[in-house]
Amino acid sequence: MPKTHRSHSLRLFAALAAAACVAAPARADETSCSPYTPLIQGQEDLVYVWTLGVKGVGDGSDKLVTIDVNPASRTYGKVVHKLSIGGRGEIHHIGLSDDRRYLWGGALDSNRIYVFDIGTDPAKPKLVRTIKDFVQKSGGYVGPHSFIALPGRMLVTPLSNSRDHGGETGIVVYNNQGDFVASHPIPKDGGGDGYGYDAGVNPAKNVFLTTSFTGWNNYMMDLGKLVKDGEAMKRFGNTSVMWDLKTFKPIKVFQTPGAPLEVRWSLAKGDNWALTTSALTSKMWMYKQDAKGEWQVKEVATIGDPAKIPLPVDISIARDGKSLWVSTFMDGTVRLFDLADHGKVREVYQKQVGSQVNMVSQSFDGKRVYVTTSLLGNWDKKGKDDEQFLKIYDWDGKELTQKVHIDFYKEKLGRAHHMKFQVRDLRQLKPLDTAADGLPLLAHSR
Amino acid sequence: MSFRGARPGRFARRLLVAGGLLACLAPASAQSGAVPGYLPNPPGTYALQDIMQAGDGRVLDSQGRTRRLAEFTRGRVTLLSFIYSSCADPAGCPYAYTVFHLVRSALEEDPAARRKVRLVSLSFDPHRDTPETLRLYGGPDANREAPVRWDYLTTRSTAELLPILSAYGQDASVEKDAAGRPRGPFAHVLKVFLIDRRGRVREIYTTAYLLPPVVVNDIRTLLLEEGREGH
Repeated sequence: MPKTHRSHSLRLFAALAAAACVAAPARADETSCSPYTPLIQGQEDLVYVWTLGVKGVGDGSDKLVTIDVNPASRTYGKVVHKLSIGGRGEIHHIGLSDDRRYLWGGALDSNRIYVFDIGTDPAKPKLVRTIKDFVQKSGGYVGPHSFIALPGRMLVTPLSNSRDHGGETGIVVYNNQGDFVASHPIPKDGGGDGYGYDAGVNPAKNVFLTTSFTGWNNYMMDLGKLVKDGEAMKRFGNTSVMWDLKTFKPIKVFQTPGAPLEVRWSLAKGDNWALTTSALTSKMWMYKQDAKGEWQVKEVATIGDPAKIPLPVDISIARDGKSLWVSTFMDGTVRLFDLADHGKVREVYQKQVGSQVNMVSQSFDGKRVYVTTSLLGNWDKKGKDDEQFLKIYDWDGKELTQKVHIDFYKEKLGRAHHMKFQVRDLRQLKPLDTAADGLPLLAHSR
Repeated sequence: MSFRGARPGRFARRLLVAGGLLACLAPASAQSGAVPGYLPNPPGTYALQDIMQAGDGRVLDSQGRTRRLAEFTRGRVTLLSFIYSSCADPAGCPYAYTVFHLVRSALEEDPAARRKVRLVSLSFDPHRDTPETLRLYGGPDANREAPVRWDYLTTRSTAELLPILSAYGQDASVEKDAAGRPRGPFAHVLKVFLIDRRGRVREIYTTAYLLPPVVVNDIRTLLLEEGREGH
C-alpha cells in the first residue's frame, strides 16, 4: 500500500475507533425474521395476517389483512386494510424482504407467490407482483412455503414436487425483482429423505438449517382421513439439514423424526444454536457445534403428552434465547419453555387460547404475544371448534392477558394464518446487531 | 492467498490490526465483519449465484464527465457500494469504505488480480456530493493508475439516481427541506455488490456480514471462473 493510502487508512481507522468505542450493548429484535432484515426494536404498529379465503365467508378470497396493533392509535385492534388476491390457493406463510419494504407470500396449492409493497404505505399494502411459474422455474418443486430474506434475494422452501406430489423437494432462490436464480434438491443421501419445510439462516456461521414436513398429497388431504391412512402417515419428513450458506451445499443431515417444522436461531450475542420442534413426536431439538466444530443435534425436551399428539406447530424464541413459546394445535394451547439451562429445558407456563391455535409470535421485547388459528385449510377443526381469530396478549413474565380479539369469521375475513409485524415509519429500523445506538452524536443510517 | 487453511499473511495481519479497531464499531456486526466466525470457503471451490444484471444509468465521474455506469461495471470484477460523503454511521458507509481498503490491500499485491478488479463508490447524494466533493473525498484512493482502481461516482440529479437505486434494489430515504434538498442522513440498508466482468451481480453483502476475507475469496473465485472461461 502506498504511504499516502496507509496513512489515510490509519487515520480513518483511528477516527472510526474513537467514535465507535462508546458502542452500545448488543441488541436483538423480532425473533423470527431473517438476520438481514431491519427489525422493529420498539412498538410494532401493524400486523399483517395472511388469511385463507373460505367459501361463503366475505368474498371467499385469500387475502392479506392489515391490523392496527399500536395501543396509542385510534384504530388499535381494528382491521385497517384488507387486500384480496382472488381465489383460494392454500396460502400459508409470508416473509419480509431484506429491506422490509416488500412482503412475499406463498400458496401451497396454486404454487403462486405474491409480492406486496409494504414500504410505500405500510398500512395499505399493494400487490406488485405475482409469480405464476414457480413450478416450472424451480425444476418441478411444489408448494412455496417459507420466505427467508438473503441480501438481494429470497430463499424459498417448497414442500413437494410435481412428479409425485410427495415430500421430496428442494430449496429455491429468487432475486428481489422476482426472477428465479437457483434451486437445489434436499439431500436424499447421507441419511436424508429429501423432505423440506422451513429454513433458518445464521450468517455468523455461514450456515442455514432446513427442516421437513410432508408433500402435497398429505397436506391437501382432510386431516381426519389422513390420520387413518397408515401408508400416508409414513410419508412425513424425519430429517433436517445444515447447509453451507455460501455454496448452498449440504454439510450434514440430522435424524429428527416426526416432521421437524419451524427453525429458530438464538439471537443472543455469541449464541450459535438453533431449535426446532417435531410435530408428530412432540420433541424439541437443539443444534449446536461440538468441540471440534461439527454440528450436532440433541433432543432437549418433550412437549405435552406425545401420546395425545398435541401437534406443536409453531415456536417463537425470546430475543435473549432464554425462553421459547410453543403452540400446540390440537389443544389450542401456548406453552412457555425455559431454555436457560440447555440440559434442563422445561415447560414453565401454559394457557389454552382457543379450540385450536397455529402461529405464535412475540414482539421484540417479548411483552406482547400474538396467536392465530389456521393450520391448513383441510386440517383445521370442524364445526364450533373451527375458531378463527387473531388474539393479542400482554405478557408480564407470569401471565398472558388478552388485549385484542378479532374474530376472523365474524369479520368475514377467513382463516387467520401467518403474521408479520410492520411499522409506519421504516427509517428508524436497523438489521440485527448493526445498531449504532450509544452514538448519539453521530447521524444514523440503517 | 485464500483464507482457509492458509498461514496468516500480510492481509490477515492487517486484518488483525484493523479488527482491533473495528471490534468496537458496532456491537456484533463489526466484530463479525473483521474476522469471520468460520473459515471461508477456498476460492474456486464454489460457484457464486448469478443474481441479476447490474444496473445502468447516467453518472458523473470525479472529473465531472457524463458516463454510463455500465462502463464501470463491465470488463473487470467490480465491487460497488452506494455511499455519501457525509455519512457518519460507523456501521454504514465508513465501514464499507474500510472494507474496500482492506480488500484492495489484499488484491493489489496479487498479480492475478491487478488490473482485473475495480472498486466503485456511487453517491446517494447528488446535491452535496458533486464531482469536486468526491475528488476530495476519494483523495489518493482515486488514483486511476492504481493496480486496483477505485472510482468515485455521482449523478447529476435525484431523477437520474433513482432508477439506478431501483435497479440494484438499494433502498434509501432522506428528509428534505422546503426547497427539496436533502437534510440529514440517508436511511438505508448498506449493501455492497460484487459484479463479474459481464456485468452480472454475483453476490450482495450487507453491513453485519460484510466480511473482508469472504469478499476477497469471492473475488478470487470470479477471477478463477473467468480464467477457466478463457478471458
